[in-house]
Order: sequence, then structure tokens, then C-alpha cells
Amino acid sequence: MLGELKNKHNAVEMHNIVKEFYDVRANDDVDFFVKNGSIHGLLGENGAGKTTLMNILFGIYHPEEGEIFINGEKQDISSPTKAISLGIGMVHQHFMLARPFSIVENVMLGRKSRKGILLDTKETAADLVALAEKYKMKIDPYAKVWQLSVGEQQRVEILTALYQGAEVLILDEPTAVLTPQEVEGLFETLREMKNDGKAIILITHKLEEILSIVDEVTVLRDGSMIGHVEVNENTTKSELTKMMVGRDVLFNFNKACIKTGKEKLVIKDLKVLNDKNFLALDGFSLDIHSGEILGLAGVDGNGQKELCEAITGIRPIEAGEVKLDTINIENKPPIVAINKGISHIPEDRHITGLALGWSLKKNLILKTFKDNTKFGLVDEKKIEKRWKSAQVDYDIKANSGEDSAKDLSGGNQQKVILARELGSHPVILIANQPTRGLDIGATEYVRQKIIDAKGDGAGVLLVSADLEEILQLSDRIAVIYDGKIMGILPCGSNVKNIGELMMGKKLEVEENEK
Amino acid sequence: MLSNIFTVSFFVSLLASTIRLATPILLPALGQTFTQRAGILNLSVEATMTIGAVAGFAATFFSGSLWLGILSGMVFGMLYGLFMAILSVTLRANQVIAGITLNILGAGLAVFFYRVIFGIQSLPPQVEPFKMLKIPFLSDIPFIGVIFFQHNIIVYLAFIMVIVTWFILEKTTFGLKIKAVGENPKAADSKGISVNKYRYIAILIGGIYAGAAGAFMSIGYLNIFTESIIGGRGFIAVSVVIFARFLPIRAMWGALLFGVASALQLRLQALGIDVANQLMLMLPYALTIIALVLASKKAEFPSAYTIPYSRKER
Amino acid sequence: MKNKLIKNLNQLLLAIGIIILSLLVGAIIISFSGNSPLEAYSTMFNGAFGSKQRFMEVLVRMIPLVIMALGTSVAFKAKLWNIGGDGQFIVGSILAVSVSLYSGLPPVIGVPLSIIAAMIGGALWSGLAGLLRVKFNAPEVITTLMLNYIAVYLLSFLVYGPMMDPLGSKMPQTANISTAYRLPLFESGNRLHMGIFIALFIVVIMVFFWKTTVGYKIDLLGQGEKVTTYSGVSVKKMIVFTMAISGLLAGIAGWTEVFGVQYRLLEGITSGYGSIAVVIALMGGLNPIGILISGFFFSALLVGGSTMQRMTEIPYSIVEIVQGLIIIFIIARTAINFKEIKNRITRRLSNVK
Repeated sequence: MLGELKNKHNAVEMHNIVKEFYDVRANDDVDFFVKNGSIHGLLGENGAGKTTLMNILFGIYHPEEGEIFINGEKQDISSPTKAISLGIGMVHQHFMLARPFSIVENVMLGRKSRKGILLDTKETAADLVALAEKYKMKIDPYAKVWQLSVGEQQRVEILTALYQGAEVLILDEPTAVLTPQEVEGLFETLREMKNDGKAIILITHKLEEILSIVDEVTVLRDGSMIGHVEVNENTTKSELTKMMVGRDVLFNFNKACIKTGKEKLVIKDLKVLNDKNFLALDGFSLDIHSGEILGLAGVDGNGQKELCEAITGIRPIEAGEVKLDTINIENKPPIVAINKGISHIPEDRHITGLALGWSLKKNLILKTFKDNTKFGLVDEKKIEKRWKSAQVDYDIKANSGEDSAKDLSGGNQQKVILARELGSHPVILIANQPTRGLDIGATEYVRQKIIDAKGDGAGVLLVSADLEEILQLSDRIAVIYDGKIMGILPCGSNVKNIGELMMGKKLEVEENEK
Repeated sequence: MLSNIFTVSFFVSLLASTIRLATPILLPALGQTFTQRAGILNLSVEATMTIGAVAGFAATFFSGSLWLGILSGMVFGMLYGLFMAILSVTLRANQVIAGITLNILGAGLAVFFYRVIFGIQSLPPQVEPFKMLKIPFLSDIPFIGVIFFQHNIIVYLAFIMVIVTWFILEKTTFGLKIKAVGENPKAADSKGISVNKYRYIAILIGGIYAGAAGAFMSIGYLNIFTESIIGGRGFIAVSVVIFARFLPIRAMWGALLFGVASALQLRLQALGIDVANQLMLMLPYALTIIALVLASKKAEFPSAYTIPYSRKER
Repeated sequence: MKNKLIKNLNQLLLAIGIIILSLLVGAIIISFSGNSPLEAYSTMFNGAFGSKQRFMEVLVRMIPLVIMALGTSVAFKAKLWNIGGDGQFIVGSILAVSVSLYSGLPPVIGVPLSIIAAMIGGALWSGLAGLLRVKFNAPEVITTLMLNYIAVYLLSFLVYGPMMDPLGSKMPQTANISTAYRLPLFESGNRLHMGIFIALFIVVIMVFFWKTTVGYKIDLLGQGEKVTTYSGVSVKKMIVFTMAISGLLAGIAGWTEVFGVQYRLLEGITSGYGSIAVVIALMGGLNPIGILISGFFFSALLVGGSTMQRMTEIPYSIVEIVQGLIIIFIIARTAINFKEIKNRITRRLSNVK
């Protein structure tokens, strides 16, 4: 193992960390070491305990057992304040920014003011601008956070950490929300910081990132440390995968680009507002054919959610048409789309897809309660039967149909949704980020079910920010940017083209055509 | 006929009592601005004010000191706020249910202890309330002096607290932290701000303001305690905060609006005008509904409004 | 089936435990006031169960309280905070009494019409709050409360003004409704009326109600607006509808009180039933049978409490205090995670080893 002794060159040493939640051991005797002036990958599936371990380092959680050394000195990191004072900074996966606040207000939150109990807004703003310039970023310290793009928000988070004097910077899945080009920019900054002698910890489950930027990697699985590897040209994806998953994984689904069936769902010139009353979709057109998977690629927040909600009747449409076969269904209540066989796997399974406090059984008939009654009263027998078969067909791990949905793991929750949405044999399936937050096993399962649905003749709209997923499953790939379709590509298109479309750049070919 | 009623002196006395009657709504509304900004909807303000009224009255009755009365109202208001803090922050209970419950309990406690302390008497015990505080020169300005500068000291203090509250919320680190735990508690937590601590403080501040307002009712506005002394002012204060969109200056305008509604009813009644008294008494409550209807759609509620915080949850 | 029985039994035991705990804390407060808690509780108990007549009085109280609590439970199930039961009760009563006093219809038509009027009155008053929530996002918890005050003053205005008994001695009350309109009594000598069957009937209806599509949709609304919309149910319609049903029941409660006990409108007719109904609904776990049981308990507490106030020095407010304490303990019980505490203790113990 790597060094029992406390190495001065190690920015961080965590020894024998144990952390429990209720009955579950999220971290089980984990060792973790990071050198100064290096980028260290923390690799593992969702639920492997990566974020928990880093939350311990950052003082958000307290481990039941274990010791932490920062620059060779033993520390009790009792709170984020303590972590910050030790020079540890963290950029969370979900940004820790108060949206109605300005950038400078967010930054001041984590610092002692130079003016005692009064806010030192002006001074902090000036410092921020200077710091941003040093790292070649441009910011307006008085801009409100909700006005910023996701990439800009991430920069604010990094700046905040640096401003607090971070020497160790933890980044939790920083690339999940970025375009490939933005990722390159982020990596440039990280390399810059590494050259400054800072230690950077990159939490990720993406192997490409590990291979392209990381110096060393620690792999976690089921809360335990599996191994520690120095990354060099001999390191392979499959080696890391095996460590991460514990078995070989087939990355490629057998997929031929299918000649698609006839047009089923036609969307024309759609204009839809988002929650802030800005246009989320602005002249959006697309058609989905029976028996195909149409992948919709794009960075989060470019109108994908609003599109799915508009099709299914959840969100009002300002202008444009949605036609199923020849029937207009725009601005009809959601029940119309449901009755016409449009199934919807929503992005947010906790708040939208499931009634979390309800039993699994009842969640299965969320949309079809009327069909499960006898003399106007709920037919328990019928529902039980339905549950029994769904549990088998969709491999749902639960004690009984009486368990409430909130007690299930994310993967099993998603399977309940699949059972409901696919059990009705839809003609159209809208799948919005169907594998987000799931582990590899569940991801494989969900993807297979989506392919099966296509085989059944359903037209599938697959919305995903995970380009790999889009590339693997789609028969055609459409790219959305700022509420518009940037282009539609056949399967097997190259990543760079898609990436540029995701950034809002038109393809060169098209430019030439003009 | 109407010109006989709506004289200059009528308007002067109307506006003067508007300011007086706005005070017991303004104070708790300012306190609840802190509380609600921190993400807590505390409906038990009503009972907190009743408790403040009893505590203030009893302290003044036995000590003879009005200031001790106000202090006692504040202390007991804060202590009762502690219940809300424990239920809503530590136990993470549903805030509406916790608020309703504490109103029932608080009303019971206030009246119980009033009865225990004072027994049942044919004439209610009385205290000598706060006297009008004349401000040299200012109080003698015609009209303006009567409207603004012939009140007791608590009224002046309440309006000074508008500025103080605004300053604390907008210009100090403390205010920023209070707002942060209501907007994004997770972010606040990650920046080393104890969400529970600041939510406790925000609720206790609300309790102090409410307790002071309750004491004002029994020893500043009236000179006795009755069971229904607060009469929904706590609930109105909670609504004022919402339709003032959580801003102290606007809360002042909201409180004055209710002041004028109550004052109109009192003035007309005093003049013996034949407008059904009960219908006039409805006015402040109807006004609350109208104000909520007009303002709620635009109100930007703190993102974590009424949502308990736990680190473990996603 | 058996499991369900054990679960229900557990819940009942838990409720009894909570009541005992609340009474104990209440006892401390009573002794604080220099009185004997034992005396207080024994007069209270005697006041409720000491004689047949007193027991009947408990049942009389229970009728409007259970119906109103059922109304409250409908709204609460959907996480709609209708705490304006009093106002809905009053407006329902006003309409019902108006029908019986002024319509001049024969009872065969007039009585059903007065019930319908009570339902409409209650439903309008709460439906209004629902409508304001849907149209303007005005929080129903506050609007229902404000509508309470408005209803109270409306009632006061009417009984002092247009509806005052023309033959009465200027008392703030309406004339008596004619005997034919009244709910028949069980026996002379006590006030228990046939309304008890109406209350029980509504309890049974509510048991089935939660198994219908409509009941299911109300329950779903309580799970969140997003999942409700997603499931094809209109949130806006459901909010107004749920609020209306909730107030409709409060209106019926008002009808039983006026037509079974008071026979006229008078000031203070609800005597704060609204907040007690909230307590009963919560204590009953929003479940119709649970509400019936907790309604019985709280009615006994109220009747016993007023006897206690008459016979001893102890103020009636102790009843309110005990009510509040009970809900606080219920909140604490659901909020404290006993499993986690148990885990922590076992871990500590194993660490010691």
C-alpha cells in the first residue's frame, strides 16, 4: 500500500475512513492520498461513495472512524469552515450558489468581512475581478447568478474556492454539465492550477477524463477502496472499468442504423416559455418516426425539459403545432397525450415521475387508476396482480408492492417508472435523461428496455446530455441549442461535429452551402 | 352631510390613529421578515403576541415599570419562538402544522396563566400605559405634529426599527447569512454557515419582535389584557411580509394600510356614523385577502421557503 | 390483513401513549398553578362520563366536530391547509337557517334544501380560498383564516341586524326555526339528536371515498403538484374541488349544530370548533375511523373541561394546552428517527466492546 507514514508531500491523506448512513456503509475503511501539484482522479460508479468521501474531507460529514492529515498534520475537519481554513475548496456537482444573489454576494458568504459586521462588497468585487483576470476569466461581480450560464456558474464556484485560498480543490463531476469544448477550457484551467502547485481532486465516473488529464487515480466500489493507479500511456479503459464495476462491461450495443418507419409525431415551429417566462423553445421543429430512436443531444438547459413537457401537455405552448399522426395535440391537457399512447420518462423522477410517499403498487397505476377500479372502488386484487408481473418483468428489487417509492434505490425507482410507461405499450416514448444518476448495471438495463420499446414499434425521443448514450442508442441524432434544432445527423456521426452544434456553431458544410 | 364628517380634523385624527394602529402589525411583520427570509413560515406569531401581551401586562402590573413590561414581552416572545424553532428546525416538522399547533397551545398558555395570576375579577386589572412622548418643536407643528409626533415611544421605536431591519438585512454579513439559509441552505452550509443556527436566530428574532408587539397591545395601546386582544394581527403581520415581498420598507406601507383600515372603523364609530360596525370590522381581514391576491403572484418566495433542511437529503 | 390489524393496534397504542404523556405535562402545568392535577382530571373525567346525560353531551359535541374534522382531513390529505372550518361552518349555517326561516317551504322540501344550502355555503367559502390560490397564488392557509374573521363579523352583522329575531328582546340571535325543521332528539331530557347517524354515515362514506378515483386524485395532489400534472390530473381543478369538498363538510357540521342543538343562529356559534377539528384530524391520522375515535376523545375532553372549569378553580384553557401538547408530541414522534438512534446506540455499544 501507499505509505503508512505521513508524507509531507501529500496534500491530503485520509486513513481508514468509515461513514455510515442508517444501515448503509457509504465508506468502508477507505484510504485516500493526494500529492501536491497533481490532478488526482476519484473514480467509481454512482453510489460508490466518492462524494461521501469528499464531503468528509470538506467537513460536511463526520466519519465514524478514521484520520485525516493535511500536509502531514493530523486534522479534525469538523465543518466546511474548518476545511476552508485548511485550504480545502470544493466545487459541488449541484452548484452551491444562491440564485437571486449576485456573484459577489455569493463569494462574501463564505468569508469573514474586512469591515467586521458590515459587508465589504466593493473590496471583494475588486479582488474578484483581479483574481479572474489572473486566470484569464471575465466576470461581472454584480451579475445575479440566475443570469449566468452553467459554465459561468462553475467558474464562479472555482473562483470562490480560489479566493478563499484553496490549495486543495475538489471538483465533483465538473464536466457533466459542459460541452466537449467547455470541458477543454476547464481542463486548461486545472492544468494551470496544477502548475501552481495546487492539488486537484476530480470526482468522476468518466474514463476518458481520467485518461486525458489525471496523474493518479483512486477507484472506489461499494464504499471500499479497490485500488490506486498511476495513470500513464499503459493504463487502459478496460482495466479501470473492471476495477470500477468488478466485471467486464459491454460498452457497445449491437446497433445497426435502422431505416425508420413512417412519421408519427410531428413538431412544427414550437414556441414555449420556461419558468422564468423566457422563450425556452423558439421555432423548434422535429419529427419522430415509429420504430426509431431519435437522440436529442445538447447541454442541459437549452429547452429539452420544456420540449418534453410541451409534447406531453404539461407545459402550455405559445405557438406552433404538435401532431400525432394527423391529430393536433398541442395545448391539450396531459390526459390527452396519456390516452393517445405517449409515454414519458421525466427528467426528475423524484418530484415528477413518482409519488414518493405512495406504495410501489399505486405508483404503477398512477396514470390508469380508473382502469383499476371495480364498482367505482379501487380493485386491490387487480393491482396486486399487475405489481407481481411488473416486478418480474422489470426486475424491481423490493420486498413488496406496499413499500413506498422513496425507500427504493434510484435504479429501482427508474424501473418502476419504466414498468408503468412501457407497460402500456406506447406509440411514442419521451425519455428525458433516463439513465442520469444510475449505476452502470441499471443504466445498461434501462438502455436495453428503451431499445426493446423501439423494437415494439414505438417512436422514441431520447433526450440526454450524455453524448456517449446518444451515440450508442440513436438512429438519428438531433442537436438542440438555445431552443432550436442546430442540425440532424445520421448515426455514426463524429463527436466533434455534434460538440460544435451543441455550442451553437453551425456546421461548416452548412456555412459553405450558404 | 359628508362635508361635516370629512373635516380636516377628522383626517388628522384618522392619520394619527393609523400610525398608532399600524404599530402592532409593523413590529411583528419586521420580525417575520427575518424569519421568512430564513425560509420559515411561522404562523404562531398570533399566539406569540398573545403571550407577549400577558407577559408584558403582568410584569408591568407587579413592577410598575413599563419598560420591564416590554422586556418581559420580548423575553417570553423569544422563549415561545424557541418552540417553533425546535419543531420546525430541529424536528423538521411541517411548518404549517407546527404553527397551527403552537397557536392553540399558546392561546391556552396565555389565558391559563392570566387566569392563574389574576383570578376572575369583576373589573379587569389595569395598568397605567405608555404616555404620549412629546418631541420638542416637532410635536407642535400643526397637523404634521399631531399625525406623526404625538405618540408614545414604542410607536416611534417601531418605525425606527424599519430602518434598522432594512440595514441589518441589506448591509451586514448577518443579514446576508439569514437570506442565504432561506435561499439555498445547502450552499450556505457548504460555505460554513450553520443553517440551523441562523434559522433558530431568525425565528427567535421574530419571537422578540412579536412579543414586544404583544406587550405594546396590553400596556401601550390598551391598558388591560383580554383573550382576544391580538385579534388576528399576528396573521395579518405574516401576510404583510408576504405581500411586501419580504422587504422591510414595503412591510411598513403594508402595516400602514391596515392601520388606516382599522382607524377608519374606529373614527367612524366614534363619530356615530351609521355604517354597520361589524362590516367595518371586516375591513382589515378583507384587505389582507385583497393584498395577497394582488401581490402573491409576483412575490419571489425564498427558494427554501417552508422546506426543512437536512444534509442527508439530495 | 393480520399485519394491517397489528399496525392499526400499534397506532392506537401509540396514540394512547401520546395522550398520557400530554396529560402528564398538563398535570405539571396544573400543579404549577397551585391546583391538584388529580382533582382536575377526575372532575374532567366525571364531567364527561359521570352520568348518562353527560356522556350524551359528549356525543352531541362529537357530531359537528367529527364532520368538520373529516372536512379538514380532505384538504390536509392534499396538503391544502384549510384552517377556515369555522368560517365555512358559519356561512353554511347562515344559508341553511335562511332557507328554513324565510323560504316558507314545507319541511319535506325545506329540510333537504337547507342541507343543500349548508353544503353550498361551506363549499363556496372554502372554494373561494381555493380559487384565490389557483388564480392568484394566494396562500390558502392565510385566506381561509381571514375568511374566518369575515364570516364571524358577517354573522354578527346579521344577528344584530337584518336577521335579528323581530319578537326577541333585542338579543343578538335569529328567531327559532320551526319544530318541523329540527333534527329529532333521541329522548327528552338530553340533547342527543339524530345528527349522530349523519356523522356516522359520513364517516362510512369517507372510508369508501378514499378508494374512489376522486379520493385517489386528492391523495395524489398531496404527493406534489408536479407528479399530479404528470399523471394527467388538473392541479387547478383539483385544488378548487378539494377545498370545496372540505368546506362542504364543514357546512354540514354547521347544519347539524343549528338544526340539532341551537335551533337558531347566534354569535359565537362555532366556539372555535375549527381549530379543534384540525387537532382531531391530525390526531386521527387523516383517516376516517381514526377521526371518529379521536373526535370522541376530544369531545370528552371539551365537555369534561367545561365541567372542570365550573367546579374547580382551574381555567378551561388547560384543555387547549393539552390539545396543543398532543399534536406537538405527534409531530415529535414522526420527526424523530428512532431507527437511527437505535443504530447509533448499538454502534456505540459495539465500539465499547
